[in-house]
Amino acid sequence: MNWYRNIAEQGDICLSTRVRLARNITQYPFPARLSAEQKKEVGEVVKEILKNEELKFIDMASLSPAETVSLAEKHLISPEFACDTKGRSLMLSEDEDVSIMICEEDHIRIQTILPGLSLDEAFKQAEKYDKILGSNLSYAFHDQLGYLTQCPTNIGTALRASVMLHLPALSQKGAIHRLSTTVAKLGLTLRGSYGEGSEVSGDIYQLSNQVTLGISEEAAIKNLNSIAMQIITQEKQTRAALVKDDDYLDRISRAYGILRSAHKLTTNELIKLISFVRVGVSEGILSIPAEKLKELTVTLQPATLNTAAGKTLSQSERDVLRAQKVKEELM
Amino acid sequence: MLCQNCKKNEATTHIKRVINGEATQSHLCSACAQSLGYNNFFDDFSFNLPSLFSGFFEDSMLALGESRLERCEMCGSSFDDIIKSGNVGCANCYEKFYSKLLPSIQRIHGRVKHAGSAPEATADAVVPKEKTNEEKIADMQKEMSKAIEEQNFERAAVLRDEIKKLKGEN
Repeated sequence: MNWYRNIAEQGDICLSTRVRLARNITQYPFPARLSAEQKKEVGEVVKEILKNEELKFIDMASLSPAETVSLAEKHLISPEFACDTKGRSLMLSEDEDVSIMICEEDHIRIQTILPGLSLDEAFKQAEKYDKILGSNLSYAFHDQLGYLTQCPTNIGTALRASVMLHLPALSQKGAIHRLSTTVAKLGLTLRGSYGEGSEVSGDIYQLSNQVTLGISEEAAIKNLNSIAMQIITQEKQTRAALVKDDDYLDRISRAYGILRSAHKLTTNELIKLISFVRVGVSEGILSIPAEKLKELTVTLQPATLNTAAGKTLSQSERDVLRAQKVKEELM
Repeated sequence: MLCQNCKKNEATTHIKRVINGEATQSHLCSACAQSLGYNNFFDDFSFNLPSLFSGFFEDSMLALGESRLERCEMCGSSFDDIIKSGNVGCANCYEKFYSKLLPSIQRIHGRVKHAGSAPEATADAVVPKEKTNEEKIADMQKEMSKAIEEQNFERAAVLRDEIKKLKGEN
């Protein structure tokens, strides 16, 4: 199920769930030591094994820069993967819920991304492709160290699971710093998303597991799930209190007003305003389908807009187009 | 390269990000990286911080002495290369430099024994086959024609010599 067009469990706070498994093939040095030709070869090997799966094979070098960056904006590939496309390839499902990056930091990175809080399902899907690949390849694996990866921070299960959380109320209350210190003690990381530098725009945070060695996949996922649920509960309680405040209600209404009437909107402004509107929707103050808000924040990002337009729009043209699309959707 | 933020210190942390529709790389010194919030994680979906990671290896580095020049038989990496790049070269490096890597691994993860799943039996694994000389020559001839088309005669000459060599070995 496409993550940015759908809302699922805990969807008013949990925007998406991502699971990533990193795998390497014994016979090849890790990607940093491969030539573009060898990287292509790895791509061909993976493509051949997965030929019966419903995944589209994409030679990354064949995409335009806008198309490449758009994939990163939609969280289907990493920014690191978008920065250098030579020799790299991608296998992508129609729904965009499965993406397999070939020769990113590791030979194979299986990623599944689903709407809402859905860790078990996301892991199950990733595991399915892992099994197919694993029974046809000799994975780099060590009895003591588990799956071997180019960066030692990933060895062991080589599993990174994360949930994207919208936490405007907790952030308004200044609780994020305390929260991130607390989760760090539990082997998790909480960090801002969509922001540039230290600025976290739109109060969107990413909660993910940090430790991958010495903990099983199931335990890591259970741990992440339970902490995510606790944060979601806290956010819900804080939101309920927050919308009793007239000043905050005013900010929600004003944000909605600007979205419905602005002639130009930058990406950052859109994300900030939608953050307020989303609270209005989850608290029953505004009635807009929540999936619409998510779709707007994702599909109106710069490179995704350029890709849809089929040409390079100037920043100003994009801002006008963005405001126009938002107006159409919210009227 | 100087840090893009303070423009004073040497940039040691290179962060790849997507900003305003473009994939860009930011170069920061460790102090700025830290103040901008890039200090409490070492790898995730979006950031690549090899030089920050290499800080983990400092202890092992001191203890090394001359064995630093020993190289992995499979990929040719020395432990020094691994420290500098923050990247392990290949699966064999983990065997080769096991004891040297272990203290850093312990520091990162707290534990040094895998507790997760293992790959299924890989007895019938498809080993990517080595290309035959004929295939290699065909590939090179294709590339050579392309080089000539593009008037890249230097590259074409190199390829011609390599093809000759391969044919000679036959």
